Amino acid sequence: MDPNSQSSGSNPPPKPWERAGSSSGPGAPFKPPSGGSTSDVVEASGTAKPGEIVTSTDRNAAINRSTLARPVPARPWEQNYGNTSYGGGALGGYGSSMNYNSGYGSGGMYGSSYGGGLGGVGGMYGGGMYGNSMYRGGGGYGGGLYGSSGMYGGGGMYNSGLGGQMGGYGMGVGPYGGDQDPNNPFNEPPSPPGFWISMLRVMQGVVNFFGRISILIDQNTQAFHLFMTAMLQLFDRSGMLYGELARFVLRLLGVKTKPKKVNHPPGPNGHPFHGQPNSSGNVNYIEGAKTAPSGSWDNVWGNDTSE
Amino acid sequence: MPVFKTPFNGYSVKFSPFYENRIAVATAQNFGILGNGRLHVLELSSNPSLPITELIAYDTADGVYDVTWSESHDSVVVAAVADGSVKLYDLALPPTSNPIRSFHEHTREVHSADYNPVRRDSFLSASWDDTVKLWTVDRPTSVRTFKEHAYCVYSAVWNPRHADVFASASGDCTLRIWDVREPGSTMILPAHDHEILSCDWNKYDECIIATASVDKSIKVWDVRSFRVPISVLNGHSYAVRKVKFSPHVRNLMVSCSYDMSVCVWDFMVEDALVSRYDHHTEFAVGVDMSVLVEGLIASTGWDELAYVWQHGTDPRAS
Repeated sequence: MDPNSQSSGSNPPPKPWERAGSSSGPGAPFKPPSGGSTSDVVEASGTAKPGEIVTSTDRNAAINRSTLARPVPARPWEQNYGNTSYGGGALGGYGSSMNYNSGYGSGGMYGSSYGGGLGGVGGMYGGGMYGNSMYRGGGGYGGGLYGSSGMYGGGGMYNSGLGGQMGGYGMGVGPYGGDQDPNNPFNEPPSPPGFWISMLRVMQGVVNFFGRISILIDQNTQAFHLFMTAMLQLFDRSGMLYGELARFVLRLLGVKTKPKKVNHPPGPNGHPFHGQPNSSGNVNYIEGAKTAPSGSWDNVWGNDTSE
Repeated sequence: MPVFKTPFNGYSVKFSPFYENRIAVATAQNFGILGNGRLHVLELSSNPSLPITELIAYDTADGVYDVTWSESHDSVVVAAVADGSVKLYDLALPPTSNPIRSFHEHTREVHSADYNPVRRDSFLSASWDDTVKLWTVDRPTSVRTFKEHAYCVYSAVWNPRHADVFASASGDCTLRIWDVREPGSTMILPAHDHEILSCDWNKYDECIIATASVDKSIKVWDVRSFRVPISVLNGHSYAVRKVKFSPHVRNLMVSCSYDMSVCVWDFMVEDALVSRYDHHTEFAVGVDMSVLVEGLIASTGWDELAYVWQHGTDPRAS
């Protein structure tokens, strides 16, 4: 490719450490290296297994001589995508394979680090949205696990996606069920279920997407913690987060809340109160509401006349 | 020293073992979460004031998370792609004939690739499907699959002094040492309390290995007595994404982190942090040291920049 470079051909220049010779001394816990090519060496050892595909079920069954420091969370993509079959059986498969709560719940790592501070926000994500999940009767998603960590509120979202997909499945069985009698000569050959397959692909993409996000968050736990802490502090600084939120919800429900009462008519000269003609109306309203009992506007007018 | 702007977010950078002025940069669109990837091969000018030029770039349908140069062919690179494939590119061939191979056995994203520097005929891929696979260029399928980890494997690295030994770092908080002739791992180090994102062997002592973790620390281990680390390097303020031993100086190592910095360490002295480079404005996720030029460091990050600079100088100074 680049003939003017210092070395071409099959071997790179010797590594600096090869020139230095061995320095590790005795006691290296390795068998001496074998001669020959890598594939020959592996085949001679009897451990070769060409082209092995490891599915998630395989993986779970694999021998695991691990000495884990903490329980390992199930991965978001472990949703039996590969071997899903059409029809009712698939639903059972989903339900049984989703064991999110085991890892994070018992590990306690996230729970403890985010615990108190994020409680409120976690509740927002977790409790409401997933409490009624049809797949998780126990509500493992809800308040307890992901709720408190906040970040898995986001993680939980892909599950709502999954839910949608499974609903879709149920409907999909309908149209195909009746028509596809293989012995019916008048039927066209069964066409591939294009829409549902493409839907599956889209959902696979969604799962991939959140899987990658969750891995990134996994890799960078502290950064996320800092971000959430900063957000909460920001909200907290305004001091009104929870109060405003509650009022907003009440307003949505059609309940009128009290702050209406400060809606006073202005005074005769545009100055509702005497003595502070240049201060803003807002300040006066608030102070007026505090000092004067409601319905005492006569006094205000009275004050004005004494000016 | 020169800078190169990549259109996507940088994920990994590697110096060619053949040409001192050539690097490969693996990038992924949208932070590697969604979208395409691109593998750049860049050429440094002999004059440091001149910019880095692009020799060639290959597009992929998913993010490229890692890249490794072949040790047997000067024009071949191996890319670890997020769609689970491992692709081989030959720069000497026209772009239409590339990739020359695409191995698709991993069922999840492939997070690292490493070419055997001793025997020079095989490479490893580590994947989020919890496995490590051993490949040779001449076979259409993997030679072997190593499945013992209980969570994503983030990195698998050959021992640079032993043709049959490699180590793998995983999110299950263990580091495992393997011999390709043995059915299972030969050593398990519960090295950190949090996920281990990277590992690398010392180039001058085949028993010394370093691990980098989400717990913000780097630990250096002697596999002969791995109960206690030789050294614990603290200084990064977020998860440490990659660690690499110097090819030239026994005790020197470089690391990059989610705290956006690249640090150089001497793990044998008490004040281990030698220097800190804060040139990246986003997560620094790829770093490498040149085998051919002592002290030359390359780094890349999510700020879509690849830097190459001499240790001790300012990466931003041009």
